[in-house]
This record gives sequence, C-alpha cells and structure tokens, in this order.
Amino acid sequence: MTRKVKLPGFVFTAMFFGYAFLYSPIVSLVIYSFNSSKLVTVWGGFSTKWYVELFHNDALINAAWQSLKVASLSATCAVILGTLASVALVRFGNFFGRSLMQGVLTAPLVMPEVLLGLTMLMLFVSMDQLIGWPDARGLLTISIAHITFAVAYVVVIVQSRLKTVDRSLEEAALDLGARPAKVFFVITLPLIAPALLSGWLLAFTLSLDDLVIASFTSGPGSTTLPMVVFSSVRLGVNPQINALASILLLVVVICVVLVGKAVKSGERKN
Amino acid sequence: MFKFSKWAAAAAISLCVVHSAWAEEEKVLNVYNWSDYIASDTLERFTKLSGIKVNYDVYDSNEMVEAKLMAGRSGYDVVFPSAFPFVARQVKASIYQPLDITKLTNYGNLEEGVVNSLNKTDPEVMKHAIPYMIAGTGVGFNKGKVDEFAPGAPTDSWALLFDPQWSDKLKACGITLLDDPSEVFAAALVWLGKDPQSEDLDDLKAASAVIDRIRPNLRYFHSSSYINDLANGDICVAHGYGGDLIQSRDRAAEAKNGVDVHVYLPKEGAQVVVDVMAIPADAPHPDNAHKFIDFMMRADVVGPITEAVGYANAIKGTDQYVSAERRNDPVIYPSAETKSKFFTLPPKSQSYVRQMTREWTRLKTNQ
Repeated sequence: MTRKVKLPGFVFTAMFFGYAFLYSPIVSLVIYSFNSSKLVTVWGGFSTKWYVELFHNDALINAAWQSLKVASLSATCAVILGTLASVALVRFGNFFGRSLMQGVLTAPLVMPEVLLGLTMLMLFVSMDQLIGWPDARGLLTISIAHITFAVAYVVVIVQSRLKTVDRSLEEAALDLGARPAKVFFVITLPLIAPALLSGWLLAFTLSLDDLVIASFTSGPGSTTLPMVVFSSVRLGVNPQINALASILLLVVVICVVLVGKAVKSGERKN
Repeated sequence: MFKFSKWAAAAAISLCVVHSAWAEEEKVLNVYNWSDYIASDTLERFTKLSGIKVNYDVYDSNEMVEAKLMAGRSGYDVVFPSAFPFVARQVKASIYQPLDITKLTNYGNLEEGVVNSLNKTDPEVMKHAIPYMIAGTGVGFNKGKVDEFAPGAPTDSWALLFDPQWSDKLKACGITLLDDPSEVFAAALVWLGKDPQSEDLDDLKAASAVIDRIRPNLRYFHSSSYINDLANGDICVAHGYGGDLIQSRDRAAEAKNGVDVHVYLPKEGAQVVVDVMAIPADAPHPDNAHKFIDFMMRADVVGPITEAVGYANAIKGTDQYVSAERRNDPVIYPSAETKSKFFTLPPKSQSYVRQMTREWTRLKTNQ
C-alpha cells in the first residue's frame, strides 16, 4: 500500500536536525540516569544504582503515585465534563448564552497559570471560611483545579471532532426509534472516541507536569512529582530523578505504541 | 426566628463539644520544607520518639511558602523559610505564632554567635523562629595557581580578593566577583572593619574605593559562571555562594583535571543565608510543632542533617555526629569563631539602594 519515497537531501538534513533538537535532551537524560557520578554534568561510569536508590526513596515514589492519581482522576472528569459541554455547544443550536459559555470554557487556555492557581487558592480558602468545605486542601483540590483548565483543552478537541460527525447517522438512529440517550451512547460516543482518547491523554499529560497550579492548591500530604523535582534545586538535582523520568518515559512510549496499534487496527476494520 | 436561635445554640454547643474533644492534639504533624532538606532517618526517629506521624511536603521557592501562609489555613505546622528578607517581613504580617520557649527544652543548644547575629539584624525573627541551616558566601580558590602566583597569600581572609598586594599578583590567573552589589559591598565593608549593615554613604564610598582599586584585576562580575570556570582552572579566585563553590570543588575533584579547588568563609565575617523553623499562626497542631522544633535542636539530630545536606547548623556539640570529612570543611562546618562573625543583611532603605546601584553601575562599567 505505502510506497517507499527517497527523501531529498535538504529535507532529510532538516528532519535529522529537527528530531535531534527534539530528542537529544531526552536521550541524554536517559543516558545520565545510568551515570555512577552524583554530578549531573560529569560522566563517572555505568551504574544502575540510582534505580535501586529510587525504589527506596519513598518520598519520590509517593509523589509520583500522587501525581498519577491526580492526573487520571482529573483527566477522566475533564473528559466527561468536556464532552457534555461540547455536545451542548455543537448540537443544541444557538441557545441563549452560547457564546458566553464558549468563552468561559476556553478562557483557561489563555489565562496565566499563576493567576489560575492563585484564584483557585483564594476560592478554596474563602469557601472553607464560608461553608466549611474543603476543610483541608489536598489531592481533591488539586484535581478540581486541574479539571478546570483541562476541560478547556478537552472541549476544543471534542468540539472539532463532533462538528465533523455526520448528523444524519444520529437522525437515522432516531428515526429507527432509538431514544436520544441511546443514540448518544451507541452512535455519537463511538464516533468521537478517538477525540475522547486524545483529550484524555492531553489532560493527563497537562496534569502530570503542572507545577504552578498544583503548588497553589496543594495541602499537607499532597506533594506531586513536579514539586519534588523543582524543590530539589535547593540541594542539586539528583540522578534519581533522571531514573524516574526514564521509567516514566518507558511507560509513555509503551502506552503510545499500544494506543497507536489499537487505532490502526480500528481504522483497518472500518 | 425562635427556631433559628435554637438551632444556633445547638450548633454552638456541638461545636464546643467537638472542640474539647480536639484539645488533645491528634498525633499528626504537617511539615513544609525543601526536598531532601533533612537526614533520611530524621522523621522516622521523631515518630518513634513521640508517636507523631509526620507528613513531609516540599516547596520550590520561599515565595510559594509566603503565598500559602498569607492566604491562610495552609494546614502546615512547621515551615522552613529563609530568615531575611522573608521571615522578617512575614512576622510583620503576623503569619507566625510566637514560639513558646518554655516548651523548647533544647533551646540552650543554640549557638550564641548565630543567635546574636540574627538578633542584631531583627530581634523579632528570633521570637518566632529557630535557626536551622546556614549557607555562607565565601571565596573559592585554585590552590596550585595561588601558590604559584601569590605564595603566602592569606587563604582565610577577604584580603585574597580585596588587598591589592595579592590581587595584583593573582590578576594573571583570573579573579571574579559576584554580580550582586549588596554582597560585594558588604564583603568590602567587613574587610575594612566596618559594619556591613551600615547605610552610611561614606562607608559606601570607602567600600567602592576598595573595588575600584582592584577593578583592573577582575575578570568578570557574575553569579554562576565561576562554578565551571573555577573547576576547569580558567580562573583562580572566585567570590561565590558556599553551596556553588562546593559544587565547583566537587566537579574539579570528579573530573580529575589536576585542579585543586579550596573553599573558605573569610575570618573577618561572611554574609549568610539562614533558614529557620517557624510555626504558622493558624497551624492545626502547634504543640506537636513545638515538640518537633525541640527535637530538631538536639545535637544528635542536627549533626546527621549537616552530614546529609552539607550545610552548617546553629547547634552546639554536633562534632561527634558529623564525619571528619565534613568537619574539616570550613564551609560546611565553620568554627564557632567564624560563626560568631556571620552577618545577615536586613532590607535596605530605598534611598540607600539607589546610591548603591549607582556606585555599582559605575564600577561595572569601569568609569
């Protein structure tokens, strides 16, 4: 099916440097995770001791675990809310307040993180004073804050996909007697599933590497991974962090490959 | 209305009940600190001793602590901010509670020299905070080069940088100063035997004259380039932050390039950053927090922390808990005498800062 094309020299060189620019920092990060020296700039021989130490470093493992929990919770909620909002925006015509809703939903895309983090902190503190909830900030408040900005990204992705879905498919189902809820779950949802998946992954990634908003909205016992990484600048970044990053990278690569394969086989079926 | 007040009364009573039930603090303590800024077994030992479970959370800047404490209800019981300018100005905003010294049985372990220098800058800080770790600004030098170009130079004094007698000789191998006017002028002032906290304009002129005289001998003013340059042997004397100079020394040792970097805090007095322990005004577990701070003032607790993190501490009698290698390091383990000469700088007045910046610009642009 696909034909092998010989790339012209210029394109090949540009591509080579482009990829080198993107990936050489990642490669060097992985290489230095096997460095036996504690200094990140000096190569002291091959060693896997940082991986061993990493598994004994409860603080770092805990933080990674917290981050994963927050990221999956907020990505899931953001996808649910974002999908509902997109359906309302795309399928419900020009209802009253539609442009306001669109604007408010996507505002976090352009809002500075510091501002969002600080307003969230203020909101949680004053809510605590007024209604006694949330009485302590922690994973829940971080997740709420992450959902707030992740919804914006999900809406953008799902909305554009939903616009391209052929309405006549849904109308045909309605004609054949399916109720709107059934149409949504059986027809619409499978059609926009790829957008949901990419929205989920994007929300997950954004949540995983967010530092600013999480710092503002965290409380006792809810340190996430980026906070530990940035906090270690005080005493110098430890190669354990390289080791942890390499493991995360490996997991991400495996996931992306699996998702890519699933999508490909899905396309073939269609 | 009647009904409402009955409800209110019931609520008030139940609140009282809840409160008395909480009078005995739950066995939890929420600590907010830099990552790895303690020894690996510190918290475990505290929990074993007191039965209090510790949540250890980390932050990435003093500003983050400030933002959270200012917003209120942070939930943290002990925080570790820097004394100046942070704690000094935060105390004014009453976000810390005064420490109950009667609960701190190890208060006597604090080194008087450090306490005095903090009190001299701002006595309010010591009422609300206990010094934890100290990082000084000092001098790093390439031993081989200094012995070659300036044999007999005093490698324990600011004179190595500021005395023209030595600096003229060391010019050949490279001298650098920090690009930080308050650090440089304060260092020049202590070398001249004057008060580094002085806002006297004549003193500023005198300090400026010192720099002016050695200006032709300086390679550059920079706050981080010296780390690599000193390690690679490109320069031979650098004015720098203690932690950075140690990093430079470690790099040189690791690279095995024949460069032997030594670091010291000058005997005339070194400017220091002091990180302190303080209890937020609305801390949920103030009693536990006092217990923790008291624990953190024990020599056998602080000694291993100095060993682990490589910063000087403010507690007496930690010698036997610190390895010889650390103890012989004049930056990580300064003598009591050096510690007594440590100084911190309070925020300067606007008008003085303007004068200082003007002098600095003149010096840097070589006019």
